Amino acid sequence: MLFRDAFKTSTRSLTHGKMRSILTMLGIVIGIASVIILMSIGQSAQDLIINQVQSVGSNLIVVIPGTPSNGKFSPSAAEQGIVVTTLRQKDIDALEREPSIDAAAPLVSGQAEIVYGNNNKIVSYQGVTANMFVIRNLTVGKGFAFTKADVDSANHVIVIGPGLATTLFGPYVNPIDKIIRMKNISFRVVGVLAKGGTGAFGVDQGNIAIIPITIAQKQLLGISYFSTALVQANQKYDITFAESRIRFTLRQSHGITDPNKDDFNILTQADILSILGTITSVLTLFLAAIASISLIVGGIGIMNIMLVSVTERTREIGLRKAVGATNNDILQQFLIESVLLTFIGGIIGIAIGAGIVGLIYFVLSTFFSIGWVFAFPISAVILGLAVSGIAGMAFGIYPAYQAGKKNPIDALRYE
Amino acid sequence: MIEVSDLKKEYLEEETPTRALRGVTFSIEKGEFVSVMGPSGSGKSTLLHILSFLDRPTGGSYKFQGKSIDEMTDKELAQVRNKDMGFVFQSFNLLSRLTVYDNVEIPLLYSDIPPSKRATLVEEAVRSVGLEEKLHTEAGKLSGGQKQRVAIARALVTDPNIIFADEPTGNLDSESGLQVMEILESLNDKGRTVVLVTHETQTAEFANRIIRIKDGMIESDKEIIANRHHRGNLK
Repeated sequence: MLFRDAFKTSTRSLTHGKMRSILTMLGIVIGIASVIILMSIGQSAQDLIINQVQSVGSNLIVVIPGTPSNGKFSPSAAEQGIVVTTLRQKDIDALEREPSIDAAAPLVSGQAEIVYGNNNKIVSYQGVTANMFVIRNLTVGKGFAFTKADVDSANHVIVIGPGLATTLFGPYVNPIDKIIRMKNISFRVVGVLAKGGTGAFGVDQGNIAIIPITIAQKQLLGISYFSTALVQANQKYDITFAESRIRFTLRQSHGITDPNKDDFNILTQADILSILGTITSVLTLFLAAIASISLIVGGIGIMNIMLVSVTERTREIGLRKAVGATNNDILQQFLIESVLLTFIGGIIGIAIGAGIVGLIYFVLSTFFSIGWVFAFPISAVILGLAVSGIAGMAFGIYPAYQAGKKNPIDALRYE
Repeated sequence: MIEVSDLKKEYLEEETPTRALRGVTFSIEKGEFVSVMGPSGSGKSTLLHILSFLDRPTGGSYKFQGKSIDEMTDKELAQVRNKDMGFVFQSFNLLSRLTVYDNVEIPLLYSDIPPSKRATLVEEAVRSVGLEEKLHTEAGKLSGGQKQRVAIARALVTDPNIIFADEPTGNLDSESGLQVMEILESLNDKGRTVVLVTHETQTAEFANRIIRIKDGMIESDKEIIANRHHRGNLK
């Protein structure tokens, strides 16, 4: 039997039972759409995170105090809650003297309740130097960022995120020059950050409070060390060279002679992107794997319906065999039917998935002002089509085999 | 054309062997019109199924056009059924949702006849049974007699040497039955071999030879002068 004829015969069988075909396809449609949506959302989230990290600048290097961890995913000492006090002002000064480095900005952080009138919120605050606003591309929407003079003089000034501003002051009150309290210390609001969603390194920029590092160290935390330093490499130098200079400078500053005994970690943007990329890829795959369970359920549905169809059409199989169809002809016909069902289901699933992904993009970018990237990876489409085709083969082969091996005379006698 | 010697067929029914054919020997020449008669359960349908390659014997030998069925694979049997044999069943076995054209075309789908020649062959076959006006009608919408004529057209479309008919008038009224038998008779007149299984004497008498079967054995095998004048008494 020519493939063309087998295809025609199969499509005719499917169109004769339209409702059944549509319902049979439904499982595959849902399965493929789920995989497509999750892969696409995963890709978009990955792009968003990478964009956020990249927006900070490719020449940014993070210095975290503590013994380097063995692998990418084992947390550093500081992340494990161990207080590491090795990163100090002399290190920052040494780094700023290094020609391959433009600026070094130390940072300390903590959590505290912020109060204005009857409104309050527990927030993460960061104590930073004035150059941190430049290094991290933090844009101030209202008012101004505090200055080096504010930091040096330990002025009680604060820059807050737009979400925090709304929580404390509501939508109609201008927060600038208002006095708010944090740990019973008064701060004058000098600036509100522009809306921009999640900031670099996973910090929620909307609800952040930024104060001079001098105040944070002395009055809020009572420490003289830093928890992190952001270093901006000079564009004229290669980033790996700058990284090696930082390493050299800090070793010298800390009197370290054995490279295996470093008491600091250095993360470049490439390291961060690599870690984030791996995490989001694993998450995307994990979500796609969950979604693929519905594909298996859909496939079993197809197998079930095809087995019913083979039984219902036993006399037809008998007749076709009586007039010359071979086992392979019958097998081919039923296999084409199941592959067609899953393949068409796959195409519909991809279309529905694309539609939902588009809708998510529209809603997030229109109503939530999130810089969501519309990602519809071609790999997801190819995967969707391949998986649906393979599902048709895998779940159709058994019913088709059952159909093909039927004895013609038994099939003709079937009531 | 057909040579059968000591043909046997045993079934296992609930682990009890049932002997449907107990050693049947006869031959059929090209161009003959043979009726196989016998009461229900005599083994006549089993014999027809073996002769038409729908089933295999469990003993004895069967040669079709000089070749033994034992030497042929299932695929070869399917090819012979397609090229050399035509089938007419009591229950028509049409695909009711397909048109007359599509039903008659089915054997051609499994043949090596090129698609470009199919339309002509289908139309010729349908015309030969007088149903050209129903060519694009769904088979399910036809009367019983028309359905059987479509089945005959389907049996003819590959221009087979032999036509096997299993109780072709069993589900028809006398007038339709007569029409069907006249078509089979004319096919025989044009040189085709026809093997017919029936339990109706008048239908059997369209043949020029009647093999009577009882309890899986041949009771009698007689040539008759075709009693086709009894057409009006069919049924």
